[in-house]
Amino acid sequence: AADIISTVEFNHSGELLATGDKGGRVVIFQQEQENKTQSHSRGEYNVYSTFQSHEPEFDYLKSLEIEEKINKIRWLPQKNAAQFLLSTNDKTIKLWKISERDKRPEGYNLKEEDGRYRDPTTVTTLRVPVFRPMDLMVEASPRRIFANAHTYHINSISINSDYETYLSADDLRINLWHLEITDRNIVDIKPANMEELTEVITAAEFHPNSCSTFVYSSSKGTIRLCDMRASALCDRHSKLFEEPEDPSNRSFFSEIISSISDVKFSHSGRYMMTRDYLSVKIWDLNMENRPVETYQVHEYLRSKLCSLYENDCIFDKFECCWNGSDRQVEFLSLCTSNLSNIVMTGSYNNFFRMFDRNTKRDITLEASRENNKPRTVLKPRKVCASGKRKKDEISVDSLDFNKKILHTAWHPKENIIAVATTNNLYIFQDKMN
Amino acid sequence: MLGKGGKRKFDEHEDGLEGKVVSPTDGPSKVSYTLQRQTIFNISLMKLYNHRPLTEPSLQKTVLINNMLRRIQEELKQEGSLRPMFVAASQPADPLSDNFREAQPAFSHLASPALLPPDLVSTMPLESCLTPASLLEDDTFCTSPAVQHDGPTKPPPPALQPVKDSFSSALDEIEELCPAPTSAEAVAAESAAGDAKGQPGESNIIHKPEGLPESRTAESKLMEPLPGNFEITASTGFLTDLTLDDILFADIDTSMYDFDPCTSATGAASKMAPVSADELLKTLAPYSSQPVTPNQPFKMDLTELDHIMEVLVGS
Repeated sequence: AADIISTVEFNHSGELLATGDKGGRVVIFQQEQENKTQSHSRGEYNVYSTFQSHEPEFDYLKSLEIEEKINKIRWLPQKNAAQFLLSTNDKTIKLWKISERDKRPEGYNLKEEDGRYRDPTTVTTLRVPVFRPMDLMVEASPRRIFANAHTYHINSISINSDYETYLSADDLRINLWHLEITDRNIVDIKPANMEELTEVITAAEFHPNSCSTFVYSSSKGTIRLCDMRASALCDRHSKLFEEPEDPSNRSFFSEIISSISDVKFSHSGRYMMTRDYLSVKIWDLNMENRPVETYQVHEYLRSKLCSLYENDCIFDKFECCWNGSDRQVEFLSLCTSNLSNIVMTGSYNNFFRMFDRNTKRDITLEASRENNKPRTVLKPRKVCASGKRKKDEISVDSLDFNKKILHTAWHPKENIIAVATTNNLYIFQDKMN
Repeated sequence: MLGKGGKRKFDEHEDGLEGKVVSPTDGPSKVSYTLQRQTIFNISLMKLYNHRPLTEPSLQKTVLINNMLRRIQEELKQEGSLRPMFVAASQPADPLSDNFREAQPAFSHLASPALLPPDLVSTMPLESCLTPASLLEDDTFCTSPAVQHDGPTKPPPPALQPVKDSFSSALDEIEELCPAPTSAEAVAAESAAGDAKGQPGESNIIHKPEGLPESRTAESKLMEPLPGNFEITASTGFLTDLTLDDILFADIDTSMYDFDPCTSATGAASKMAPVSADELLKTLAPYSSQPVTPNQPFKMDLTELDHIMEVLVGS
């Protein structure tokens, strides 16, 4: 279906929430301005703009279609009245300008209101055209198209903290773009002999504060940190993060489940979070040999890996995100002082999980209309791995693996989260007192 | 004859094949380990070679599956392999028998001769005319250095059930995509397959779905599922370090194919004698004592042929 959501991203203020889908469309939601008299709810999100970002293409050389599915959307920080975002499919990145028009000029001398030209001989007086209000129109126009720079499928885009450059990563290469001009390649792991290829790039991100630093993750569970000041081609990493394999958990699927599907820096830039198939790991940038924290998302799947390999679920790419940066998070009724202290990620059966790094508590929630009435508090869920199933628990075998939550986003300032199931977007907010 | 195993239940399969991998050196667990490994091997092959998406397949997924296959192959190599048979599959261009000739243009592909040697015997107690493969293994003429396998002994027949089933279910998927087999195969299929689930592997494999390449070398076949997205030229394969033999015959259980030469239409009737030497040459290719390299024409001594015939006939 064309409306399978493939990416979700809040802008820097949190006022706008963009979603991309498999049909190449971008839908932007806007938060209503808070009604001061109604303090019990924050503004709701309503559709603000919809536009077709990418169309399907055909690669005649390989006789293959290029999917129009939007893989990632990243917002640029707002500099003027207009909003800018980058959206990308497998091959092409586009810079879109989203602008509002709520006034239009009226009172031209030579044109009628409907645009027809007036006979100049009938003009007897001159007037100055004025702007009059009109119904709000939101227009999206492509300002730049960055194409033909990726042989393989683009999996990540990340905007630099200098706000002038951004990177794009495919399976084997990372390119650096200047928003105005051109690109250059900064990472290339393509082997001379493709038969020797055993590892691909899975995600990449710029450091939030250091504009010459970025990281990229691989299908073997490693993360490399690179400094662009070291050399033009960052084929030598500055740091290599990798956890040694736990021999007691070794299986045929060890490599596949170690493949990192997402990497996100913390707001301070001191930590980064990675998501592999079964867990979320927090790394301290100063310690390369192991993560400082590991959270199990759905460990009960470890005994099902063969089936999950057979039905391809083991290749699902779950994303992860930190809580918003500016507010102290009072989650699970606990006061916290750490800014990046909650991590959120999705799972199957429309479940998503949150982990509180300070208290080590975690919660499983479900994004589904059937099981949650609007404006009621979400009920925590529990999966029963084995043995007797308690009431309200769900057994592993009854999980629906078609209902996967791959994309989640956290409002940068408030405790509002956006959770995308296959076809629907859910927006949750914390209970206000 | 393989049992009429029903589709494996989720739970049973889980118990048998999931969970922690036991060390291959554990005695009783070795069987389940090799079973598990074989299943995963088959699934991996299926994934790589069985679907032709309209869009480029994910490079990450392909790389991970290839790594899985390589790892298993490495393991098999390390375990030391003397497993014979299936050598002839290295001649993809040669039709193994007239029966499959019409399938050649569509499927002269790596899998065709590899998986379909019509004369492979099942490890199951077969009809009386055949010697169980386990006996054949011990005969020197059956060895081929090029072939890898997963250990000196075959797993006991009942234990094969889950493997066959998982493979069969995958094959069933292919079956759905395939046109109906020709009458010759149908005869072979009916007689050979006791399994109500469907036709044996060979019929399905013969009529593989669209997208399979024309006859080429084994190596270039290996890269077929990865057109373009690796920028590989036609002459190199993504897995050229794995020969056809290595990949396909390392662990293949002939029991899956359930082919009973005694009743097949390929002419290996219960009496071998009336069969022409040519036909025999083709059908008995796997038992060649020469190490066969890919794409070399098959050669065999007639004296060896006689010897083989004797063994097969059980005289």
